[in-house]
Formats: sequence, structure tokens, C-alpha cells
Amino acid sequence: MALLSQAALEEIERIARRYHEPRAAMLPALWVAQREYGGWIPRDALEAVASALNQPSVEVEGVATFYTMFNLRPRGRHHIEVCTCLTCGTQGAYDVLHRLSEHLGVAEGETTSDGEFTLCEAECLNWCSQPVVIQIGDRYHTGLDPESAVSLVESLRGVDRQRPQDLAAAIVGVHQPAHLSPGDGAPGGRS
Amino acid sequence: MSQASMVNIRINGTPLQVPMGEKVIESARRIGVDIPFFCYHPRLSAEAGANCRMCLVEAGFVGADGSVRMMPKPQTSCSLPASEGLVIETETPLVVEARRGVLELLLINHPLDCPICDRGGECPLQNNTLHYGPRTSRFVEEKRHFPKAHPLSEHVVFDRERCIHCARCTRFTSDISGDSQLGFLKRGADMEVNTFGASAYESRFSGNVIELCPVGALLSRDYRFRGRPWDLLTQESICTRCSNGCNIKIDHRAGRLVRVSARLNEAVNEEWTCDRGKFGMGYVNAGNRALRPLLRGEEGLREARWEEAMEEVARRLREADGAAAGVGGASLPNEDLYVWQRLWREAVGSRHLDHRMGPRFEPVAEDPIAWLAHHSMGMSIADLERARAILVIGSDLVDEQPIVFLRVRKAWRTCGTRVVELRPAASGSDAGSGHVRDFAALSARYRPGSEAALVRGILAAMGEEALLGSSASDALRTAMQGWTPERAAEECDLAGETIRAAARLLAPDGLAVIAGRELTHQAHAPQALAVLDDLLAITASAGNLAVPVGEVNAQGAMDLGILPDIGPAYTKLDRSGNSAQRILEAAGRGEVPVLWLMGVDLLNAFHDRALADRALRRCPFVVYAGHFLDETAARAHVVLPLQTSVERDGSFTSCERRVQRFQRAFQVSPEVRPGWLVCGDLAARLGVPMRYATARDIQTEIARTVPIYAECTPAALGDHGVRWALPSDSGPAAGASERPAGRAEA
Amino acid sequence: MAERLLLLEHRNVDGIDQIDTYEMRGGYEGLRRAVGMDRQAVIDEVKASGLRGRGGAGFPAWIKWNSIPKDRSRPHYVICNADEGEPGTFKDRELMVRLPHMVVEGIAIAAYATQAERAYIYIRGEFVEAALSIRRAVDEAYERGYIGRAVLGRADFCFDLFVHMGAGSYECGEESALMSSLMGERGQPRLKFPHAPLPVIEGLWGAPTLINNVETYACVPHILRNGGAWYATMGTKGSTGTKIMSVSGHVARPGNYEVEMGTPLLDLLDLAGGVTGGALKAVIPGGSSVPILPADRCAGVNLDFESCQAAGTMLGSGGCMVFHDRTDIVALMRRTAQFYAHESCGKCAPCREGTRWILQVLDRITAGGGRNSDIDLLSSICDQIDGRSYCALGDAAAWPIRASIKHYRHEYEHWIAHGRSPVGDAFVPPVPRRNPRAHTLSRA
Ligand SMILES: Cc1cc2nc3c(=O)[nH]c(=O)nc-3n(C[C@H](O)[C@H](O)[C@H](O)COP(=O)(O)O)c2cc1C
Ligand code: SF4
Ligand code: FES
Repeated sequence: MALLSQAALEEIERIARRYHEPRAAMLPALWVAQREYGGWIPRDALEAVASALNQPSVEVEGVATFYTMFNLRPRGRHHIEVCTCLTCGTQGAYDVLHRLSEHLGVAEGETTSDGEFTLCEAECLNWCSQPVVIQIGDRYHTGLDPESAVSLVESLRGVDRQRPQDLAAAIVGVHQPAHLSPGDGAPGGRS
Repeated sequence: MSQASMVNIRINGTPLQVPMGEKVIESARRIGVDIPFFCYHPRLSAEAGANCRMCLVEAGFVGADGSVRMMPKPQTSCSLPASEGLVIETETPLVVEARRGVLELLLINHPLDCPICDRGGECPLQNNTLHYGPRTSRFVEEKRHFPKAHPLSEHVVFDRERCIHCARCTRFTSDISGDSQLGFLKRGADMEVNTFGASAYESRFSGNVIELCPVGALLSRDYRFRGRPWDLLTQESICTRCSNGCNIKIDHRAGRLVRVSARLNEAVNEEWTCDRGKFGMGYVNAGNRALRPLLRGEEGLREARWEEAMEEVARRLREADGAAAGVGGASLPNEDLYVWQRLWREAVGSRHLDHRMGPRFEPVAEDPIAWLAHHSMGMSIADLERARAILVIGSDLVDEQPIVFLRVRKAWRTCGTRVVELRPAASGSDAGSGHVRDFAALSARYRPGSEAALVRGILAAMGEEALLGSSASDALRTAMQGWTPERAAEECDLAGETIRAAARLLAPDGLAVIAGRELTHQAHAPQALAVLDDLLAITASAGNLAVPVGEVNAQGAMDLGILPDIGPAYTKLDRSGNSAQRILEAAGRGEVPVLWLMGVDLLNAFHDRALADRALRRCPFVVYAGHFLDETAARAHVVLPLQTSVERDGSFTSCERRVQRFQRAFQVSPEVRPGWLVCGDLAARLGVPMRYATARDIQTEIARTVPIYAECTPAALGDHGVRWALPSDSGPAAGASERPAGRAEA
Repeated sequence: MAERLLLLEHRNVDGIDQIDTYEMRGGYEGLRRAVGMDRQAVIDEVKASGLRGRGGAGFPAWIKWNSIPKDRSRPHYVICNADEGEPGTFKDRELMVRLPHMVVEGIAIAAYATQAERAYIYIRGEFVEAALSIRRAVDEAYERGYIGRAVLGRADFCFDLFVHMGAGSYECGEESALMSSLMGERGQPRLKFPHAPLPVIEGLWGAPTLINNVETYACVPHILRNGGAWYATMGTKGSTGTKIMSVSGHVARPGNYEVEMGTPLLDLLDLAGGVTGGALKAVIPGGSSVPILPADRCAGVNLDFESCQAAGTMLGSGGCMVFHDRTDIVALMRRTAQFYAHESCGKCAPCREGTRWILQVLDRITAGGGRNSDIDLLSSICDQIDGRSYCALGDAAAWPIRASIKHYRHEYEHWIAHGRSPVGDAFVPPVPRRNPRAHTLSRA
């Protein structure tokens, strides 16, 4: 299955070496897939991950559908996730969500027809000291109110930054073995 | 279980000793304390279980000072291991309340459509609700909705709304069948059982999930809406769809088989069935059943009375004067075969009898025990669990021997047995998951026909790498016959390292070998099997060769002498008759006056269809005794309709030499007779009366006259059968006790 | 009382996230001291400190450390729980972003003490900034020889430290679910046995595993540098040291405040600039999972494990959420219930079904369809989950609801009787317009 590039497969293989069992590279591998496929993971890519890690496909799908950050359907260029949990929720998050919904002309969970934005409600993003908090791709934006949220979103229109694939790429980057860490060779530390 | 690992626990005030680590839910059963459950299943992994919380109990420990400290939270007894001083209470107000709470929560999103649910009447959810549940519902919100009756596989339909997420089905596919087809998707209250991408559930064992599901979520497409369980009659039986001998239950109603479920037999199928068996027994009510005797007249086959047909057959047999020949029998019960061979040898006076369909027809009589070792299982199915390593050669095992496959997989999963799979390149397709190769430590494809070289190469590698004890070295040098791993590799079209790796996995001892059709159907099979014998001898595992037969009673046919040169119990005959190959060749030349086909669709079963066709064309009188009006029956001169195992009593001998009996479930037509009755009747007509009133009479006589079946009396057969043992029969277990030849084990 | 800055002392120092600056401020001295000591002596030092876990349960750290087998017949693992997902908590994120080396140093000391060959930091997927900061620190620490082969010249101390990221699941903060997730499975909890409830013998891949929270590890360098006895002089007898409290909600200066254990709760509110927008109505002192504390019960409550417990709540993870008097408690609980229903992993029946049912009932009440029986129903559902679920998420979903009924029953009754908020509808967040087809609880 040539659904993940050779480079991506090698990347997964390198990451897998840091664990006692390659299966542990499941989440990183799904991040690789999400990066490769422009911010979401099509069915074929799930199968590619399954074959790369030698796991049953249904297990991979089970994992991918368990975690909220894996997108099994395409998202807009920007995935706007508004924290509405307790402190944000009592300090204006719902106003922000409504304003954005109105401004973009979509309901929560929907993507604008031009494919630019997907608007979602998020559970606690744990930056409660600076409400309202919005995550867009690999960035948190804090201290927002309805108007600043609209200008934030507008400032990103058409801009190829803070996209779902940028988030995935950043996360994959954190997993990548550095040349310094012996972890990509034999298991280290046996004394 | 040694005394040392027993612990003292207390359940509801009753002290008892149980093995350390036993699950409390099991311990409670020992003293008749019932703990309700859904997800618990002793054969499924505990890790993914303990999720339904139905089995909660209060637990505590006796302290050093004798006082009991109860744990603050109730514990799931299905996962709680027994340990010294454990104190369990199963009927406290907290436990009663917890069960009611769990049931209420399980029911809020359950559709409660019991009136139209197949599971109704035998549903653990219904039963537990009756005993432990709330009386009314407080749930006024909207229930979870899913499309009803989603077809999951060819055989299984899924009602997702009824699912209680117990993970029995998903664990079955990952733990037992190994095809990992079902899994949980999503999470929380949205969590659902599904296949990957909602594709079809493809498995050879899908039917088991129907029985495992504690609610009516997974149902049989065949059985759906066909009956209420309380209207069904149940008969214990044996599956006839292969030679593994699964114990089954047949549910029937008004002369029709309604469904098949597994019957527990730890030594054979445990509690599983394969789909071929579970959904393949419908043939008993098939439209092409032979229901009346037929005789060939001017206009072709016409219905006849038994008397007329039997008289005609008797007349022809008399005229044939010993030149008549019989072929087939591997699908019929022992009682039929025993009486048939008596008819043949004593009344008809013919030596020509053979159940084999080819392509191999080697003589048996020279050394019957050696021959049998290459045509049967040297160890029992359950013994496979005790092997340290298993070599599966020339077989798509899951397809050929489904229950043996499950046991090999179990050995790998629970006993850490190493499994090596070697198959000829370009052998049949084995696409999809759930094959030996999925868990084999090594799986390779060799050049067809190179088995002997391959095994010699493995032996050579064992020698080179000194993988065996020194005592093996002389025998090893002889067996290597100058081969090296590299030379073998070239011959087999494999890498030398593959052969060495196989050697490392299979050495040093405790080996079992299972050889399948891809090997045994080859002309060179005897030589290849002989080399496998060497391998087993050198790894201190002599006798652990399994060559399981294919058809349901092929083993019984061998044991009871449906062969040209031996009689029952492998006794050598004074003069040999012709093999099936010879018989048909002779018939094709018009030299066989009567050809009796015993329960076999010769045209489709014999390895050489053209020869079968010629034989049928040239033989002046073909008797077809069997179940179906198949292609061969249509060419016969007389058709004698025989009862299937569902319609009568009898016994089969499975591939591991286990004799198991079955009993009549229902009648399809009064005009259909058991084979032994037909054969006995003919013998009497030929002047050799045989006084059998029931199948039991014959079983008793077999036990008396056939030494290897000496212990297979009707009483001893019981529910789980008796396995008769070979001299070499010690199983792969190191140091297992030897049993004398011809003795049986229960 | 003022802040007592120990962990956060240098949080505003420029470049403290880099190894040079960190070393200049005494960084990695704790590790140096540790590797100069016998392993057991390190554990004894932690024991002397009285350090209790900062991840929520307050379990004594040394017991876990000491329970890791002393032999090395199997590999040992150390995990840092950086999944910080408890609503109201944001201390681990700040520690990782600003003071990553302190976390890394603490993990290294733990790896030394428990003879671990590999350590993993499991960071929640959303925390990219924190993860990048930690990753940089890890690389720097490798370069300086604080991680890797023969750390600080001790040939018998080799270990690797890897960053592993989650992908959106609160349940993965539960330690056994975290291990499932780290092993590449669905983030569902694993079996625990009453006689071995900790993963110290069988954890990751069945091997002995030590797991602690980010803040717990961050305390360790200080303990090793200054001594356990010194550390134990801070705080109370049962709860030693300092605690970082994440203060949010209706206060003038929300943020992380490090105080000595035992500091009065009301002092913390003062530190955060006091309540804004109205009078104090309630405090949830330890993250969304702990019982709510009405204003009139806040006096006398101190920020330590014992005092919080005595007051009927818990110190939890230190996510202190403050609400003024125009907060609608029922609506707040509806949002809390949404969180738990969304985050329930689905493995066990009580939590999977119960959390959703609670949400459905609260949805109905706040939509004006409440029934008189609903309050008892909610309490009863909470009873059916609490203590009976597979892991503590179920308990955490039940406690807040139950406490809110206990303290604010009249607000529920008002909603049920009038179909409106007792504090005025203006303060009830409108539920957003949702696309029913696009929306399921878990948004695949
Ligand atoms: C549902 C749930 C979520 C949890 N989330 C976290 C978390 O995000 N971070 C954390 O450190 N501990 C969390 N815990 C607690 C951990 O299970 C565990 O007690 C902790 O990591 C132990 O570390 P400590 O002893 O240092 O506190 C959670 C527990 C539960 C039941
Ligand atoms: S379908 Fe049946 S067996 Fe499978 S999880 Fe649901 S209730 Fe259990
Ligand atoms: S039977 Fe024990 S939890 Fe289901």
C-alpha cells in the first residue's frame, strides 16, 4: 500500500523504535498520517498505518475515533476550537461561539462552504486564566471577546498557517528522535 | 493444582479453599453462590472485561488480628483474584443496590423490543433484569438510535441499539479467532461495535459471537424470526462438516433443523464452532434429499418400494459373485460402515472395498501402524497445547481443520508455543486475516515438492548450530543425508537464513507437526512424511505427527477396515482387494458387475473425474446409498435413501481418533433408512442374517469385536466420547505417560 | 499570607527555559546530588520530604518510588503525567513552558532512584507549546549528559527520555488509561487489583512503572538540593511543601499562585486580586472533579489535603475556580456534565450510560422541562456511578453534581418550578446552535 510515502513510513519506523512494542507508535503514526493528508485521515491512510504497525485495521480505526484530535473527515483550512468549558463558558465563550457562528454562517460542527473554517466547541483547553481561549491549529489564542475573535479569524483567512496539518506536523516533530538521543538505536540504558 | 497454591477465602460467611488467583466469580460457583454477570467469560481476556459492572461484590481482607477490613468500593468479582484472607459478601444492600443500578443504566438505551427479539427467552439481559433489575424505568429522555438489523456478515446481523458494550464479541475476534474483525469505535455513550470502515465481517468463526452476545445484538441471519427458543427441541449431536468432531446442539422444530449451537467439550471444540458447521447443517432439510428408493427403468429413475429395490440389489449382488465393489463411506457413521463391511466380506464375498477418494492409494497391510501414523493424528487436539513448538506444513489450517487451528492458536496465545508455518508457493489463496501466518513466529513459502529437502535442511541447520543435545548427533547425521541449509535453501527457493530460523524455532524438543492437504495430496508425500518422522524423532518428539483426515468419518472408515487390504482394527486380510482407483479402472473397463457407492457423490469427490465418469458409464449396475439426489445419484441404477446423523443414532470417529456418539433429533421421512439397516437387510437376503435392532447393538458388537474400540461401549462414549490410543500416543508433553496400544482414554 | 515561591521562583527569569540559565540558578544540582547518593537514600530523602502527588489524589510519592522492585530483572519505566486536562487547572502547562528543565531534572532523579531505563513524558496533544519547550529541554539535557548513557559519569545510570503526545482525551490523564494510550491503544483504563492498585509492579508493557504528575516531579530537584527535612518544614504536617494553585474565573488577577500548603483559601482569592463582578458565590477549589464549596463555607478552609477534605471538598489538582453571585449553578453543572459525558471513555456501563443520562436530565431542566422528580433522579444516578465505575472518572462526574444539589437545591427547584434561571436568564450561557449531523459527542 503506497498510501504513505516511503519517507513517512521510515519516520514511523524510527519513532516506533523508542518503544518496547511498535504498536506504541500508533498515535505518532496517526499524526504522521494527518500531516501527510492535509489535516485529516482518510480510510486508506488508516489502513496504511495498520499495515505499517502490523495492527488490525479496526484497532487503528478504534484508536483514531477515540481521540478528538484525529479528524476522520476533512476540516476547513482552519479548525477553530472555542473552549466553552467552565471558566471560559462563564466568561463569554458562548458569546464568542455565537458571534463566530453568525459571522461565518455555520453552525457548531460545520465547515464554511469555501472550506476556509470549521467551527467547533472544545472541552477545557486548560488556559483558564485568560478566557476566552481558542485553539486554531498549533496555536492557542487567549483573552478573546466576540469582536477580537472575529478579527483573529479574519486575519487567518487564506493564510497557510495554523492549519490542522501544521498542528500534526508540530506534534510529529516533538516525537522525532534527535540525533543526540540514542533512542533511535538499540534500547539505551541497560546497565 | 498443588496444595501450596491454595488460599483460604470466605464467601458470605462460608470458608473455602480455592486456587490462588482464581476469579472470585468462579470461586463463588463452587459453593453455589450465583453472581450475575454479562461481560465475564473465562476464555476471553480479562483486561478488556470487567466493564459491565454487574458482578460487583463487597470485598475485604482478614487482618493479622483477625478483624476484617472491607474495601471502600465494591469490586468486580469477575476480575478479582482470590488471595489469602479474602472476604466476599455478595448479598449486602450495597451489592443489591449496585446490581439494580447497573441494570437500570444498561437498560436506559436498550430498546426493550424483546417481543420481536430472537434472544427473548434465553437472554441474559432479560434474565438478570428479572432477578436483579428495577421494576420500572425512570428514563424519559431519548434513547440512542441506530439502524436496526445491520447485516454484518454473511451469517450475522447486528442490532446496535441492543448492544451493552460488553466486549465479548470484540474479544472473541481478537483473542480466539484471531481475525480481529470487530472492535470498538468512538467513545463514551457513542461507542459502538463495528468492523473496519463498516466493511463485511469476514471470519470462519463469526457464528460464535451470536452465542457469546449476552443480548440480542448479534443474531443469526438464518435463524432470525424463525422461532422462539421455548418452541424448539434440542438434541445433542456431532457436526458432520469436517473431521474435527465438534460437539453441537441441534435445535429443531416440526422436522426441520432450525439452528446449531456449540456444545461444550474441553477436549475438542471447547465451546466454539466454525461457520461451516454452525451454518452448514441445513443440508438435512435440503430440497435434494433422497427421500424414496429409486430404481432405473425404461424412462430413467422411478420411485420404488424398499422391498422391490432391495430385492433387485440382492439379486444383482448374488449374480456378481464376489466381483462387486464398494467405494465410499467416509461420510457415514461407524455403525453403517461396520455392517457394510460385514455385508461385503461375509455375505457378498467381495474384497473390493475402499473409502479413499485419492489421489493416494498406497497399500496399508504391510505396516498398518506406520501407515496410520501418516494418515491420522499422533496426538490429541488438546495435546497441542502442551507442545513447545508446532510446525504447520502444507496446510491452510484454518480452512482445512478449523478447530485444530483454534487449538494451535490457543497454544500460541496462552502457552507461548512457537508456531512455524511452511507452505508451498502458489498454494491456494489465504487472503484476509485469521490465518496461522498471522501469529506464526515464521511463515514461509517453499518451492512445491521440495518438502523433504526443506526438512532435511532444517535438520542440517539444527546440527550446524548445535541446537540439539549431543545424544541426537548420530541420528542427526544420518537424517541430514549430506544436506546443508544452503543446499536445501536453493532447492526450496528459500533463504538459508529462513531455514536456520525455522530450525532455531523448532529445536530442541516438544515439537508437534501438522501436515495438510497441500503436502499429503502429493505423490511424494510418503517420502516427505518420512523425513518429518526423522525430524520428530531427532527432536525427542516421535509420534507427534498429525495428518488429520478430511471427511467427518474418514478415521472411522480406516479403523473399521473400509480398505482393500485390512479389516477392522487394521487386521491384515488373507487376500487384498482392489483400491478405489483399481475398482474404478476395472469398472471403466466394464469388469465390475455391481458398484456400490456409499454416501459419496463420486463424480465430485473422486480425484479423477474422468475415471469416475467412465466407471459410471460402463458399470452395468450402480447402487447409490446416500443422502442426496446429487450428480452421481442421477447416474445410478438404484438409489437407496439413507438417514443423516440428525435422523438416527450412531457414532463418528474424529480425526484425533475420538469416537463420539450422536442421537436422533427428528425424522425427515419414514421412507429414509439408516445405512446399517439397509446393509443388514441385504445380508439377510444373501443368507447371512445379522441381528441388529438398534445402532446401540452394533456399538456393543464393535466394542466386543474390534479391539481398538474395546472401550467405546455405548455407556463409555457418554457425552464427550472416547479417544482410542496408538502405541506412540504420548503427546508432545515432555514425559507424558505412555499408554499401551489399543487402550482408550476418555 | 503571601506566595511562597519555590517551583515558580524563577519563572520570569529570561531564558530560564534554557539550560545555561537554569544551571546558573542552581539547576541540575539536585540531580548531581542524587547520583552521588545511594538510590535508596534518594528515596529516603523523598520520604522525609513528605511529598504527596500533585496530580489529584495526593498519594505519598515515596511509597510509589520505593515499591518499584530493586532488582532489574525487567526494564523499569518512569512516566511523567503531563496530560493536564482537568478543567480549571493550568499549572503543568506553565511549568513545562517556563521551567521545562525543572521537570526534566525531576524525572531524571526519579529514573535514577528507580533504575528506569526509559522515561516518557505524556503531554496532551493540545499543548504544542509546552511540548516544544520540553523537547528543547530534553535535547539540551542529552547534550549536557543529564540524560543518556552514563549520566554524570555514573556508568550504572543510563536512561532515555522521550516525549509522547496525546490526541485529545481527558481520560488519558488517568494513569492506567495513560499507559493504554502510550501503548497505542484506545485511552481506556486497565485492570487494577486491590492488593496491587499501583502500576509499580505491572505497568507499561507489564513492567514496573513509576508515574507522577508534572508538578510532583518539579518538586523533586528542590527536595534533593535542600533536603527532604527542609522541604517538610513548609506546609502542614500532612501536606508538606508548596502547591501551585491555578486560579481562574471571577477574580481580578487569574493565574498560577504558588503558596505553602495550608494557606487559607480566602488568602488565595486575595492574592488573585479578589472577586470581581459581584460577591463571591462559590469556589471549586481543586478542578472540576471536586465538590463545589459555597461562599459561606470558604472561611476556615485551608489549601491542604486534610482541610479541604474536612470541608467536604478536595484539593485535587489545584484548579481553583471562583464564581460570583450571578453564576447559575445548574447551568454550570450542565456544562460540567457535558464535559464528563464527552470525556467518558465508554468502557464501563455506569460511567458510559450515567454521564450521558445526567447530561440529558440537566439539558432538559435548563431547557425549561424540569420535573419534580429530577433532583432525586440526579442524586440517584450519581449514586449509581460513584464507586462502581471502572476508574475514577465516574466518581469525578458524580461528585460535583451531588455537591451542587446539596448546596444549591433551591436553584434546581427554581429551574424546575419556573423553567428559568434563579439568577436571571442573562447569565445562562445560551447553548450554541449545533448541526445535529455534524455533531456527536466524540467528534470523529
Ligand atoms: C479521570 C482522571 C483524570 C486524571 N487526569 C490527570 C492529569 O491530567 N494529570 C495528572 O497528573 N493526573 C491525573 N489524574 C490522576 C492520575 O491518575 C494519577 O493519580 C497521577 O498521575 C499520579 O501522579 P501523582 O501521584 O504525582 O499525583 C487523573 C485521574 C483521573 C481519574
Ligand atoms: S454486540 Fe453483544 S457481544 Fe458485542 S459488545 Fe454488544 S452486547 Fe457485547
Ligand atoms: S461480569 Fe464482571 S464486570 Fe462484567
